[in-house]
Amino acid sequence: MKAVISRRKFVQISVLSAASLGVGKAAYWFAPSLPYPALKVGNINNLQTGQAVYFNYPDARAQAILVKLGRQATGGIGKGRDVVAFSAACTHMGCGVQYKEGRFVCPCHFSMFDPAKNGQVYQGLASTYLPQIELRLDSNGDIYARAIGGLIWGRASNI
Amino acid sequence: MALFERRDQLPIPPKNAKAHNTVCQYCNVGCGYKVYVWPVGQVGGVQAGQNAFGVDLRNQGPIAGQTYSETMHSVITMKDGLQYHVVAVPAKDSPINRNGDHSSRGATNAIATWSEERATRERLKYPLLRVGDMFQAVTWDEAMNVLAGVAKGIRDKWSDDEIAVKAFDHGGSGAGFENNYGVGSLFFKGFSVKHISIHNRPAYNSEVWGSRERGVHELNYDASDARLADTIVLWGANTYETASVFYTQHMLPNLQGATVAEKQKAFAKGEAAEPAYFVVVDPRRTSSLTAAEQAAQGRTLHLRPNLGTDYILANAIARVIWERKYYDMNFLQNRTDMQKFEAYKSKSLGVGTAYANFMAEAESITGVKRADIEKAADWIAKPKPGGAKRRTLTIYEKGMIWNMKNYDQVAAVVQMNVLSQNIGRPGTGVGRQGGHQEGYVRPAAPTPGSIYNGGPPVNVDKYLTDGNGKLYWVIATNPYLSTPNAQIFRKRIHERTKTLTDYLGQSGEPGTTQGLVDKILKGLEATEGLFLVVQDLYMTHTAMDAHLVLPASAWGEANQTSINCNSRLLRLYEKFVDPPGDAKQDWEICKMTAQKMAALYRKEGNEEQAKRFDFANKWAKDEDVFLDGANEFPNNKIPEQEEATLPAECYKGVTYAYLKQVGQQGIRTPVRQDPATGKLAGTLRRYSSKFGTKDGKFSWYATDDWQGYPEEVSKYLEGEMAGKYPFWMTTGRAQSIWQTMYNDRLLPEKTTGLPLPYVEVHPQDAHKLGIKGGDIVQVWNEEGNGNFMVYITDAVKPGLIFALQYHTRGTSNSMTSGYTDPKTTIPWYKGTRVNIRKISGGLPDILATASTLQNNKFD
Ligand code: SF4
Ligand code: FES
Repeated sequence: MKAVISRRKFVQISVLSAASLGVGKAAYWFAPSLPYPALKVGNINNLQTGQAVYFNYPDARAQAILVKLGRQATGGIGKGRDVVAFSAACTHMGCGVQYKEGRFVCPCHFSMFDPAKNGQVYQGLASTYLPQIELRLDSNGDIYARAIGGLIWGRASNI
Repeated sequence: MALFERRDQLPIPPKNAKAHNTVCQYCNVGCGYKVYVWPVGQVGGVQAGQNAFGVDLRNQGPIAGQTYSETMHSVITMKDGLQYHVVAVPAKDSPINRNGDHSSRGATNAIATWSEERATRERLKYPLLRVGDMFQAVTWDEAMNVLAGVAKGIRDKWSDDEIAVKAFDHGGSGAGFENNYGVGSLFFKGFSVKHISIHNRPAYNSEVWGSRERGVHELNYDASDARLADTIVLWGANTYETASVFYTQHMLPNLQGATVAEKQKAFAKGEAAEPAYFVVVDPRRTSSLTAAEQAAQGRTLHLRPNLGTDYILANAIARVIWERKYYDMNFLQNRTDMQKFEAYKSKSLGVGTAYANFMAEAESITGVKRADIEKAADWIAKPKPGGAKRRTLTIYEKGMIWNMKNYDQVAAVVQMNVLSQNIGRPGTGVGRQGGHQEGYVRPAAPTPGSIYNGGPPVNVDKYLTDGNGKLYWVIATNPYLSTPNAQIFRKRIHERTKTLTDYLGQSGEPGTTQGLVDKILKGLEATEGLFLVVQDLYMTHTAMDAHLVLPASAWGEANQTSINCNSRLLRLYEKFVDPPGDAKQDWEICKMTAQKMAALYRKEGNEEQAKRFDFANKWAKDEDVFLDGANEFPNNKIPEQEEATLPAECYKGVTYAYLKQVGQQGIRTPVRQDPATGKLAGTLRRYSSKFGTKDGKFSWYATDDWQGYPEEVSKYLEGEMAGKYPFWMTTGRAQSIWQTMYNDRLLPEKTTGLPLPYVEVHPQDAHKLGIKGGDIVQVWNEEGNGNFMVYITDAVKPGLIFALQYHTRGTSNSMTSGYTDPKTTIPWYKGTRVNIRKISGGLPDILATASTLQNNKFD
């Protein structure tokens, strides 16, 4: 198994070797790398600015938040490009973040994340941005969660 | 979608991954970490029995679970040519970062490791010599021939006084006892260097002589004291951002009442045990304060003294303590020097002045209301209901240390605590928060102490900028960013190094080593040129001007030992990766230099000088240096009541094997060896029996009266200048980045949010100046200027701005004055006057990607 290899090769090899080890999962982990479900999480016409909608994604154990910010956001959808969704598990130690006046605040150790800037940690102990959930809008205004751009706290794989 | 590459799955360390114990490389807290290393190609499974964490990765609960975030994994290549996964996660069994807590700084330990596949490929791998005015790789032997040749030439022709050094003196960050002893031995045993300064300041001095000369080492409490205190005081310390886990694991639970049961266990029977009160003394509404306002409503107090006036405030609180008799006369008489106390009483507490008059004057100097001063005194020292002594832990840091009048500031806050016996008891103490970890062990330095001990020490920056010195050797620090009055300093050093480079280029550079050495020495004689050597991890701003660059190895690339600040907890930081290229530990570089020096002297038959440099011959591996260093400590076979006689970092008797055995539990220095059994014993808390003075008694000190601001700053307060520079500027650090960002500047997790150094501006000032969050402004005064991004926040008050002190793209130090405390040569980094203007236009990318939300607003 040991070999001198380039990074590109390594990625391919690890895909193979993970499979050959019977782990059953590719080790190519740049997000999104997993078969995410498409899940309807709301309709754009029912969203009120500043009111967070909680849902579970990609499975029942993972809480997520959908919110219409009222200001343009990285990855935002809708006319104002201001509708975004994130994993609600704080990337520090997993507590549920709360949406308060335009930002996410973690009640455990006060990490704060900017929903308009890709979930950027702008204060606190969390090391990574909140994983942003890719959203799609269909012609009826239905909003679908499509994939997650980051690792949900506590897991070694989102799925 | 993401602003930079993200992961949604991570390789799981298999059960047979090699596990190493270590400690975070960054801040003073010293959180325990576990590092797992295993060959690429293998992976563990999600079930507890299938992975090295021993946890079920499908079902982890918040806080209780093992954090393994995207920043905690990397792939590295070792010397065997194989790729390995490296996972660095917070340890779950540390008494420091309980629950596996960690901060945004430490969480990136893994991605900050050297890798050819990531930006950390920038690490220096080979010695670089400036040849023909560009850097060219040379062998270590050639580098040493040049360095030792020049150093010896300078000694022969002039003296060691022409050799100036600037070096780290700390632990963590790839330093520790081993490297400290290497550097100390080279410059104090081999050379005898007087013109040496410490990594973050222009002289070789303690930042807390005002405390040490009282008999109180600055690290005297245990982290657990923050869990037991009735009142916690943060004085010029923003613990939430600069010692994050000390705040979240030891202060916050106490504020929230979660440690009441621990208190009941530790306190006397029947003694009141309640959630803590919290006093913050700071010109800013720091996040440490505003987070506490959420956690401990009604139990926080904010004192906001005018810059530089803190010692007057500490004395005023002490006066209230005296007036209201919140002291124990038995303690004062038995444990403190009552003769000196008289001078303190009359000069610092002003007992000859009527209370009302004294307080009115304190109020007018500090700008803090008398009622708040009195409230602080009550919270710090008033006996608890039932009569038990209150337990107050006072933590201070750079807001006091890098204040105007360093010596008096620190002395005043220590004395305030000792007056109310808030030291040596569970839940008490008065000490530094710390910035980095510690690990000082060196032969005695040929430099003086404070003004009361033969000093003050030489300001080496001034020595150099005045045109003195021939060789300047900078180790593991970047003074172009970090020194006060930095703009003048870097321009002058640049000029002097270039003078030598230009001289070397005249009529062709010599092709032989001896020819080069000779020409350098000639150039140093003929011009005011300076030969600059930089020893570091990266090509720093300072290194860009060097003639010789020496690649140092980092945290995790060798075994190292350090203590943290908040418990003096000594642990082994195990090697888990190989260094890049031919980079070496600082102690190894010092050893090579010493051996080359000895060889040069022996060649000419000068045995006396050669012998000076033989100190490192017996160092074959890291532990040899550690054990050799222990010989610098005095006899530690003493009973517990005598602990005050030991240096704070004494580890005599400790071995690597012992540290491996105790793992994350470590041992608290000063370490004693039990006189009867020889067993090693740590020290939980200091000064319960005696203080660290000759007679064991606390040595009071009469602070100076208020004398206004030093000339370097007062010039901005008068006449026309007052209008030209209408803002006070204070400075400090930010939560997410470590020091000069030497690693962080390579991590998009850090640079996206903090692309530039920044200033905090109050909304009223912003309105007047016509600036908004995300704008780029220039800040300037007659010392220098710099460009900063703007945050609008009520953390600062109108008329005061806060500027980030270090950032890879600039520093507030360009504007700080050259003033240092005449008693200690410690700079006042945190106060000067400036003006601000908006630079027209903006940077749309920064507006689009960097958050400008207010980072002290949690409600
Ligand atoms: S608090 Fe300090 S020691 Fe702990 S993880 Fe953060 S930087 Fe490292
Ligand atoms: S779990 Fe969110 S800040 Fe710690």
